[in-house]
Amino acid sequence: MADENENEKMDNENQKPEKMFTLKKWNAVAMWSWDVECDTCAICRVQVMDACLRCQAESKKDSYGKQDCVVVWGECNHSFHYCCMSLWVKQNNRCPLCQQEWSIQRMGK
Amino acid sequence: MITLSQRLKRKNDAETVPASRAPIRDRLLVKEAQEMSQMLPSSCSVLYHNENDLSKFVLIVKPTEGYWEGGIFRFDIDVTEEYNMVPPLVKCSTKLWHPNISENGEVCLSLLRKHSVDGMGWSPIRRLNDVVWGLHALFTDLLNFEDPLNVEAADQYRYSQDNFKITVLEYVRNYAKE
Repeated sequence: MADENENEKMDNENQKPEKMFTLKKWNAVAMWSWDVECDTCAICRVQVMDACLRCQAESKKDSYGKQDCVVVWGECNHSFHYCCMSLWVKQNNRCPLCQQEWSIQRMGK
Repeated sequence: MITLSQRLKRKNDAETVPASRAPIRDRLLVKEAQEMSQMLPSSCSVLYHNENDLSKFVLIVKPTEGYWEGGIFRFDIDVTEEYNMVPPLVKCSTKLWHPNISENGEVCLSLLRKHSVDGMGWSPIRRLNDVVWGLHALFTDLLNFEDPLNVEAADQYRYSQDNFKITVLEYVRNYAKE
């Protein structure tokens, strides 16, 4: 057994100088995208990560700057601005995109 | 002379005006009106009462096939302040004989129903372009004799398609020409 191990070590040492190339430089490139089913609010047609059309209009009017306009995800995995969706469910409690009964899965940014 | 205090006062007055959805509608309309004009069916044209108000316009449909071929039909479209939570109000101002449009101009198109139980009614993801294509299709693909608004017209069609055709042409000749 000991002999065999020694032979292997010898082999490894012998292989080292025979390397054809070495890695000198490595540039890693990463891609990213929002982790959401649809990235535009289908109701106001603004990106869900931005403030909705109404909040944008109102923040312009009173110049408060940052608005707290959150995103809401339904059980159907469709996302909208909470502001937009709360107006719509008053009228019809279905997802505008898939017409499933609307129930909130999570909220946030 | 304009003083700062006067200006501030005026600004405060402006802010007390009750919130309306009109600015939201107007922002949506800028994009949708442009999209609509770019994708208009070849048999349709759009006329604005006032170039600065995109919320009121007339859609003119000149069907190139089907029973109403050769007629000119005008639809008054009013995009109310609650748009796009509610559909635009549509009225046909040209008298015609059609199972889905009453002689008074009420239009029966599922897309234009504010409340729907079947999921076929208005949804805020719809755009003006969908409304235009829907109205345009009422003269062809969406023509529906099974669930009529003008029951008399649908009944006439059921008993005699020839008589229906004759009545349609009579109406076109009398009301739907230039």
